[in-house]
Amino acid sequence: MIKKLILPAMLMLSSLHADYNQKVKLPTISFPMVADENFRAMQRNCQWCHSYGYIINQGKQSRKFWHKSVVKMREVYKAPITEEDEKLVTDYLFKYYGNSKLK
Amino acid sequence: MHRRDFFKTSLVASAALLGTAASAGTTKQPIDSQVISTVAFPEKRPLITYSDRPPILETPRDAFTTAITPNNEFFVRWHSPKIPTHTYLKGYRISVNGLVEKNLSLSLDHLKKDYEQVEITAVLQCGGNSRSAFIPTTSGIQWGSGAMGCATWKGVRLKDILKRAGLSSDAHWINFSGADTPAFHKAPKLIRELKINEISDDMIVAYEMNGEDLPFLNGYPVRLVIPGDYSDSWIKMLSNITVTKEYKSLYYMDTAYRIPDNECECETEDDLFEKTKPITTMNIKSLIGYPTSNSIINVDANVVARGVAFDSGHGIKDVLISVNGGRTWESATLGDELSLHAFREFRFAFRLKEKGPITIMAKAINNLGEEQPYPEAIKWNHGGYKYNGIDSVTIDVV
Repeated sequence: MIKKLILPAMLMLSSLHADYNQKVKLPTISFPMVADENFRAMQRNCQWCHSYGYIINQGKQSRKFWHKSVVKMREVYKAPITEEDEKLVTDYLFKYYGNSKLK
Repeated sequence: MHRRDFFKTSLVASAALLGTAASAGTTKQPIDSQVISTVAFPEKRPLITYSDRPPILETPRDAFTTAITPNNEFFVRWHSPKIPTHTYLKGYRISVNGLVEKNLSLSLDHLKKDYEQVEITAVLQCGGNSRSAFIPTTSGIQWGSGAMGCATWKGVRLKDILKRAGLSSDAHWINFSGADTPAFHKAPKLIRELKINEISDDMIVAYEMNGEDLPFLNGYPVRLVIPGDYSDSWIKMLSNITVTKEYKSLYYMDTAYRIPDNECECETEDDLFEKTKPITTMNIKSLIGYPTSNSIINVDANVVARGVAFDSGHGIKDVLISVNGGRTWESATLGDELSLHAFREFRFAFRLKEKGPITIMAKAINNLGEEQPYPEAIKWNHGGYKYNGIDSVTIDVV
């Protein structure tokens, strides 16, 4: 019985190990975010590089923390965040993922 | 109002409002999430999932009862969003270039046929493992304790590859990078540098993990293995090795993965220590794999706590267990030493006489006499790196 179960499992595993001649399909996970009037700024700036999971995982933070993160995304990772969007994205993050402290 | 002015004003206003926010910085037990995703990634069972793009997966606590972490439970951390999802092995090459006598273009077949095959069992751990322990929160993935694992890696010695290429006399540094790339070409690529005179015999270019091809998400087809060091230099999907004379200033060397260069390796948010050093070597750590906060433990039942301990390669001498919240400690039984760099299993049998919550703790001691500090004794650093506090699990005895 056990052997019968192990064999298909091994075959499944080995098919993944073949040269990756087929594209590896990575699953898509939807991380729920509030869709308010600033959400479009999030959509056009954040997802170039990472999922919203990064934001949720970071937990509730100060306005200064989020602003620093937004600036880092532009300065280090070269996300094309305009000055206008810098404020909209920071506002959004602080509104929904803020700890009510400015710094 | 111009928006720059807005921020200036709001910061001044906040400082006036709150006074100077003197946050000394402290640590606590890292989060102990048992929230397993319903979604499984290729070659993985469902894990604690922080991001799908790039994939970031944490190993749940209950995997840490054995010295070898199964491939399908092994944690995953990529930095760049663009990861090749199609690897044509016949065309896959690792380029060895720069200050070498002969450029090499190595296929997986070359590695397997032209070089001596070696194996090492070693722990791979993210420098930010347990980052959620740090208060105030530092920027970066808020890991629990599962950004680590131990595997038997098979491949060829880095030294042997460099010998074949022939190093020029003025070669001092080696750059390593993988096939993954950032979203914007001006953004920093994950490139790591190693000093040539620090390359040891146990650093390998590995293509196998626990007897199988490297899983795609752990760096298929080849990755660098650097026993004793945090994972930042264990480059995945290794595709380029460049030998240089001078150290190159790089984001992932000079800014990321650094800690204060002082004795306590600590600082505060308001007073960051200016001089920094790379995180490099792992410190001593242990983790209880069983019981977990989900375990049901009955009064007077025979319980065997299990877990793993490791350091940077000096070897584990002892693991002390407390089943009364730290009042008394006793030595656990240690499992075989698979290698000095491997997880060392520990077991500890006990019985609890009373109902109610009880905290089980584990503290590892290595052959140098170094031991894990209490969480509260660990001081803050801006990257949330190198947490290694005494582990504890609180269970409800019924």
